[in-house]
Amino acid sequence: MIPYLGIMLASLLLGIIGVLLVNERHSRVVGSVFSGITMLLAFAVLVSGIQSGSLNFSENYIYYISQFNVSLNLQLTPISLALVLMASVVAFVTVFAGNPEHEREKTASALILLFEFAAIGLFASGNLLLFFIFWDIGVLALFFMIYLLGSANRRRAAIKFLIYELLASLLLLFAIMLVYFYTPMHSFDINYIIANSVTMSSSTQTLIFAFLFVAFLINMPVFPLHLWLPDAHTEASTQGSMLLSGVLTKFGGYGMLLAFALIPAAANFSLFVALLGGFSAFYAAFVLMTQHDIKRVIAYTTIVEMSIILVGIATLNPFGTAGATFAMLAHGFAISMLFLVAGSIGHIFADRDFRAVKGVIASSAATGYTFLIGVFATTGVPLTAAFIGDVLIFLGAIRAFSAMGVIPLLSLGIVGAYLYYVMNKSVFSTREVSKTIEYIGSSQKLGYAILLFFIFLFGLLPFLILNFFNL
Amino acid sequence: MIPYIGYIIAGALFLFVATDILAVWHKKLKLQLIVSTALLGLLALTALYGIMSGQSSVALGIFNINPFSMLFVLLFSLSLMLVNFLAYEYSNDYAAFLMLLGFASIGMFAIAMANSLVTILLGIELMTVPTAFMIMLNGKQFVESAIKLFILAAIAISVLSFAVALVFPYDPSLALASLATNPGISGTYILVLALLLFITALSFDASLFPFNLWIPDVYTGAPGYVTALLAGINKKVAFVALFEVLLLVMFPLAGYYSSALQALAIMTMFFGNIVALVQNNVKRLFAYSSIAQAGYITLGIVSVTQYGIEASIFQIIVHSFMIIGSFAIVLWLESKNIRTITDYNGLGSRNAFAAFALTIFMISLIGIPPTAGFVGKFLLFTSTINVGLLALTIIAVINSFISVYYYAKVIMSMYAKKDRSAMKATWSINAVVLVCLAVVIVFGIFPQPLISMASAAATAIFPI
Repeated sequence: MIPYLGIMLASLLLGIIGVLLVNERHSRVVGSVFSGITMLLAFAVLVSGIQSGSLNFSENYIYYISQFNVSLNLQLTPISLALVLMASVVAFVTVFAGNPEHEREKTASALILLFEFAAIGLFASGNLLLFFIFWDIGVLALFFMIYLLGSANRRRAAIKFLIYELLASLLLLFAIMLVYFYTPMHSFDINYIIANSVTMSSSTQTLIFAFLFVAFLINMPVFPLHLWLPDAHTEASTQGSMLLSGVLTKFGGYGMLLAFALIPAAANFSLFVALLGGFSAFYAAFVLMTQHDIKRVIAYTTIVEMSIILVGIATLNPFGTAGATFAMLAHGFAISMLFLVAGSIGHIFADRDFRAVKGVIASSAATGYTFLIGVFATTGVPLTAAFIGDVLIFLGAIRAFSAMGVIPLLSLGIVGAYLYYVMNKSVFSTREVSKTIEYIGSSQKLGYAILLFFIFLFGLLPFLILNFFNL
Repeated sequence: MIPYIGYIIAGALFLFVATDILAVWHKKLKLQLIVSTALLGLLALTALYGIMSGQSSVALGIFNINPFSMLFVLLFSLSLMLVNFLAYEYSNDYAAFLMLLGFASIGMFAIAMANSLVTILLGIELMTVPTAFMIMLNGKQFVESAIKLFILAAIAISVLSFAVALVFPYDPSLALASLATNPGISGTYILVLALLLFITALSFDASLFPFNLWIPDVYTGAPGYVTALLAGINKKVAFVALFEVLLLVMFPLAGYYSSALQALAIMTMFFGNIVALVQNNVKRLFAYSSIAQAGYITLGIVSVTQYGIEASIFQIIVHSFMIIGSFAIVLWLESKNIRTITDYNGLGSRNAFAAFALTIFMISLIGIPPTAGFVGKFLLFTSTINVGLLALTIIAVINSFISVYYYAKVIMSMYAKKDRSAMKATWSINAVVLVCLAVVIVFGIFPQPLISMASAAATAIFPI
């Protein structure tokens, strides 16, 4: 058996070294090549999984701390496979298409590869300590991404991001140390803990779940701990935003799925979690309607979508879980495409306020139409991947919470309405056309194409992923 | 072979001091640097062999040769090498500095290998007094901090000798390890007083609150390489002495000192981290950060388990390299008159290597993977959770979180503005920083060899 996961991580590390060795001009190409190899390997994993009908990837490498029996052990569940695929595609597009200004490409490419390394390691990690380590590497990579490559007010946004995320990571660390000491055989191994966590007393389970829940809530982000996200997006570069919403928020989503799987007592709180998710979705949707910066608008759609995913996770039935996974996959593609488009709009018009930017469709048709499809793909229009995810989430929600479970869906309606208003006001308003400052290159268009391809691929052929779930 | 280790170490130490004294006359400084580095390297290799052989014996009647003592001989000789390089470049009077360093190093190695309380007392004296003079060597402006260090060291030493005197009636041999076998020891309040005096005296050098108020002034006032010596080695020596006294002599009183140290650790962490938040001078910031780190190290002793000691030893070793590396960069920048956080603006574009290294050191000091600082903190936190001290662990985690802010301030300032006038560091700074960086990163990714060594050392020192 080929150790795909190990090769993916190794290729990314080689990529970082390669990027740092070559000069500024070639760094983007080198980064794209190694990231592309990783993406192809991720799809090789998918293909071999489909051929054999099951996911049987478990790899074990060097020991980290032998006392705790922690080694670099990687494994794939259906959930992590979906997220690894998504992360590798998003990172690949980010590294070659996300920087039309060609600003500090060497730093950017190295940090993107480092972040991709962390993301794939996190989604594929077989034990909690490794999960934590990759989490922190990812957070640091994005912190530097925001701070080194962001816009004018990046200082405040970056420190806000770092403080929120490190708070989450320390809560996570504390929780996993508690898990370790309260499981009967003292282990960080995820499979072992899932099998044996029932033996913990219910108060311990509640305590651990509380820590994990807050940590992942910060990261997802869900009301009331979402405040870092809009600021981080406004100040981050296009590449930073793509990774931030596309991949980093999925750390929290994946963690939340993991938390419910690890802690049986968490089921007692599922209704509260779903209520919080539902409230957060409406809250973010209403705040969204007061935003004018296109990037900020898109940032709030992330909060809405992640809140709905939280509802799906809290249903605790196969539909909800598969739906949350699929929605995360779909959201990753869609949101990074929207941020790529927003970045292109900022590049073309040197402005991102939709009241000022008029007639995108006339200046760059590709950008305009991609924006439109991106809006379809976030609001869950049929044929896009998000549709499948949302349908599954709300099927699960109806099962778990009866008809009341569908209520959060209305928030998507609000988001859709406002986004179409934005489209109408700015992208398709051709009566007056803003002055074009710059043109986008073919790499941006190729980036759109790749993300569009995957949005429709998984929208039309959802069984590629859903085969691995028992629905 | 084991008995020879003692002779080799004693011989190398003697040669080290003798050549250092000679250097004051012949003034061949480059030769002296090479000779002293070679002798410290010999010490390090011997110590490494001692750790690998894993046996324990007593050499020359006064030196304990076991994995614990050898691990610290290794650590001290390596860190002395690094400080030596820094001083060579930046000291006004390198020959005199080296002579004082020779005396101080005898104190350090004596404590690492001590087998009696008297050795510890003499060692602390021999270490701190020359350090005060090292500061004074550099001119009038340093006298103030030298005097501060000298007076407080004198108080600490007198307290320590009083503590030793209180133990004397119970065990006239004053040997380490003997009181543990004395059944009449518990419930004797004189001994509890002795215990508290030991903790007080050693807390001066280990920089535990409230005995650490001299630290910020002296660290900031002293030349950078002496600060590196103080934070990287002297403090660690005090912790070694603390291990020896608490675990060997005072082990029956574990209940008392565990709770006392718990209080000290909490206060030290909060004091260091909170005051560091408002510092503007980077050197002072590192002084407070190193106070906070002393609090973390104490967590391992609080749990009074072999595993906790192992965690403390790991963190001591790692912190030694982190802080020497950091102070090396601070020292170099200070010589260019770059002191405050705002002065650090744009360092990332002026000298990418130094900025990167300082960033890694700070990430490691916060305790973020994949650096050795994370492994150390992880071991420490698990050691306290292991004995059920959840509240203490939460406090430590909160402190880690507080520390994010001030380290991030410096990191962000370094990468803030583009300032293209490049600055080149001298070869000795680069070499020292590179070594420290390698330790922090390599043991962050492959911590197992170092953990095994720390584990062997903890087994050697821990009774039962």
